[in-house]
Amino acid sequence: MDTIVRIRHRLADASELVVLISFLLVFLFFSIRAENFLSLVSLTNILTIASIKGIFVVGVAMLMISGEFDLSVGSILAVATFVFALSLEAGTAPLAALVLALAVSAVLGGINGLIVIRTGIPSFIATLGTMLAFRGIARAIGGADFARFTGEMPALFTGLNGEFTFINRLAVPAGSARMAIIWFLLFAVLAAVVMRNTRFGSWVYATGGSRAAAIAQGVKTKNVIAVNYIVTGLLAGFAGIVQFASRPAVDPLRGEGWELTAVAACVIGGIWLSGGYGTIVGAAVGMLLLQMVEQGLILLGVDVQLFQATIGLILILAVISNTYLSRQ
Amino acid sequence: MAEGNSQPVVVEMRQIERRFGSVVALRGVDFTVRKGEVRALMGDNGAGKSTLIKVLTGVHTPTRGRIVFDGQQVVINSPADARALGIETVYQDLALVPLMSIWRNFFLGRELHKQVGPVRWLRKKEMSEQCRKSLHDIGIEIRSAEDKVGTLSGGERQSIAIGRAIHFGAKLLILDEPTSALSVAETQKVLTYIENAKDKGLPVIFITHNVNHIYQVSDSYTIIRQGEKVGTYQKGDLSQQDIADLITGAREK
Repeated sequence: MDTIVRIRHRLADASELVVLISFLLVFLFFSIRAENFLSLVSLTNILTIASIKGIFVVGVAMLMISGEFDLSVGSILAVATFVFALSLEAGTAPLAALVLALAVSAVLGGINGLIVIRTGIPSFIATLGTMLAFRGIARAIGGADFARFTGEMPALFTGLNGEFTFINRLAVPAGSARMAIIWFLLFAVLAAVVMRNTRFGSWVYATGGSRAAAIAQGVKTKNVIAVNYIVTGLLAGFAGIVQFASRPAVDPLRGEGWELTAVAACVIGGIWLSGGYGTIVGAAVGMLLLQMVEQGLILLGVDVQLFQATIGLILILAVISNTYLSRQ
Repeated sequence: MAEGNSQPVVVEMRQIERRFGSVVALRGVDFTVRKGEVRALMGDNGAGKSTLIKVLTGVHTPTRGRIVFDGQQVVINSPADARALGIETVYQDLALVPLMSIWRNFFLGRELHKQVGPVRWLRKKEMSEQCRKSLHDIGIEIRSAEDKVGTLSGGERQSIAIGRAIHFGAKLLILDEPTSALSVAETQKVLTYIENAKDKGLPVIFITHNVNHIYQVSDSYTIIRQGEKVGTYQKGDLSQQDIADLITGAREK
């Protein structure tokens, strides 16, 4: 009897169910239909690229669960990458450049948080504004041009996004597995544990689930939101730096559109737009699913234009099935 | 208007006046509640009963007047102040987070945790068990503390909020229209919980305009009209019709 009850709770709580099933079905589909999909180069490519975006998806997911959006992650990523690139090129020690870029990311995230908390305007609008503003900063500090790092690759780059040569050489053509995968895994697991097992996690769910009730029970919802914005800013900046560490050049449009990819990954992963429901694991699988679809469609030779339409279709189907399931 | 109860006074509000600009919401209201008493606070919409309670729960500060709680004169500037004193309010809707489990709601804002460096690690099992036991002790049976609050009925939700207030050592329980959105059967249940609370010696202020409900569980009634106290009456002093007349002003004291 007790086990039946427990199984029922497990199922009712499994907001990731839809995305996990979709992931398996899509994986199966491409495995059968797309030539070379099950190759080392294809699979590691999916993992590495999804992981770079996945790093900030973790932050966006926590924010969305607390009932807020962050559309500025792509812009923060660009600013952080430019700060990192330009300070390296100016001769700053790699570690100092990393700290500086992360500090800037945290400040930008903090600005988002401050605007949302203090003005009370919807975060969708607030971060739409900062998305444009931060993009302007990225353009300005980069002189609207590329920034490259031309010196010898510092050892730090290996730690940030080095290749796993022992995996990549397992087949021909070689794979592209990189450290980004480890970072993504680390942040996703860390966030998932925090959300489930700590007071902060409970407060994030309460903040998004019913803000008035949370406040009435003494939850410091403003602190929760501020922390989430700062963490998201940090993760966005870190993702940019990790990406730069594998290919040390950055253009002013870096990260553009990724804010919506992040929202899509979260929603496909079962997080509600209204907040209070969903998991980090769901969002992480959502990101992997999106990247897998992109890779799979490329391998099928599908037009790039159709790729976006497909993502849109998946998004809508995911929302419909999630809404249907949550009514049960 | 005799206070027939010889129990110690828990809260005494004296000459409470509250203005909003030029509007006078409360004109010098006296209000006293004793231990183990269920007091109904009644009045029509806009009579000032909500304002009086909001003064007591720190949502509004009084323009004039003083509050003595547990023998001490107190200043209540925020809901947190009220809560620190042991004044627990159960609101109609905004008490619980529907998407969260019963135990998470029960302990929300007061989670049991283990401090590991900067991390507050939840003692989940302990909270789940305590929640279940504590609700059981006041006669509330739940299937599982892991159930989401959103799956419960309105009456069950009220009961969880009441149970929570009792568990955390409330010295005064305020119920704001607890039965207004409930079915008859559900209302009966909630009224039982109120009696259980009373049996534990916990004073309850029960805000309502449903004369039927207060007639069943209240020991005394305070009626407010147009910002002034009409009077406080003991159970049996008035018929239901008398109460209704006093609320609407069809009859003077």
